[in-house]
Amino acid sequence: MKRFREPLFVLLLVFFLQSCAGWAKNRDYHPFDASELDRLIPGKSTATQVTEILGAPSNIVKLSNGNAYIYRRSLSKGTGLWLLIVSFGNYDKHYDQIVIFFDKKNIMTHYGVTLDAHKASYGLPF
Amino acid sequence: MVSPFKIFPFVMYPFIVSLITGCVSYRVIKAVEGRSVPTIFEEFLVGTTTLQEALQTLGAPDKVAELEGKDVLIYQQSLLSNSGLSFGIPFTDIWGPSFNFSAYGELVRYDLVFLSFTPDGILSEIVSEKGSRYPYLNTILSDKKGN
Repeated sequence: MKRFREPLFVLLLVFFLQSCAGWAKNRDYHPFDASELDRLIPGKSTATQVTEILGAPSNIVKLSNGNAYIYRRSLSKGTGLWLLIVSFGNYDKHYDQIVIFFDKKNIMTHYGVTLDAHKASYGLPF
Repeated sequence: MVSPFKIFPFVMYPFIVSLITGCVSYRVIKAVEGRSVPTIFEEFLVGTTTLQEALQTLGAPDKVAELEGKDVLIYQQSLLSNSGLSFGIPFTDIWGPSFNFSAYGELVRYDLVFLSFTPDGILSEIVSEKGSRYPYLNTILSDKKGN
């Protein structure tokens, strides 16, 4: 057992010397403030008021009875770990999204909010 | 004859390990995009549930579209799994031909909820798919038609 100690130590040393790890963070940012949604009233607020408060939408979709304005931003985090002959990568991407529905007169009828971007995390793929 | 591993252990072992490093590699990659999609069949009823209720329960959809006069909301999460094994012996410099073997696989699975609403905002159709329930190896190695 003793004769394996030295080679094992050398192998472990090389193993860690040749290892590396990396982290990355990407943010697709749009400066809308979801807390401002309280100022909007379904059935009353207009599309103009919405854009004054939230800014220009990321996307507009035509629907059967009006339009939907989509506000979206994302946060992604990546982790990489290289251990000699084995490498691991993990990528996690989450979104903050607001979708506001308007009728044909451009009056806001409904909205949905998901604030999930902060849940993006670093980690390993298992 | 004395083994060079005994005389120069600090040279020989790193040398061997360096050789192996260039020849054998295994990688595992996972990528998740979006939040987890809930199971909603118990709460949502076709003909009863409204657009407002769906938005309050599920939040903002990932996709919105009009489809044949109906409004469609799609909630989805994608899960990418990638793994690869590579093994080769680079004889090129001393011999010419090289031996190289590699195998890679990538699988993207989707968890989806598809909700269709009438122009009045009443739920008319629900479709749900839980792609993440399919195991990685069985799914990627499957030869079934359509898979």
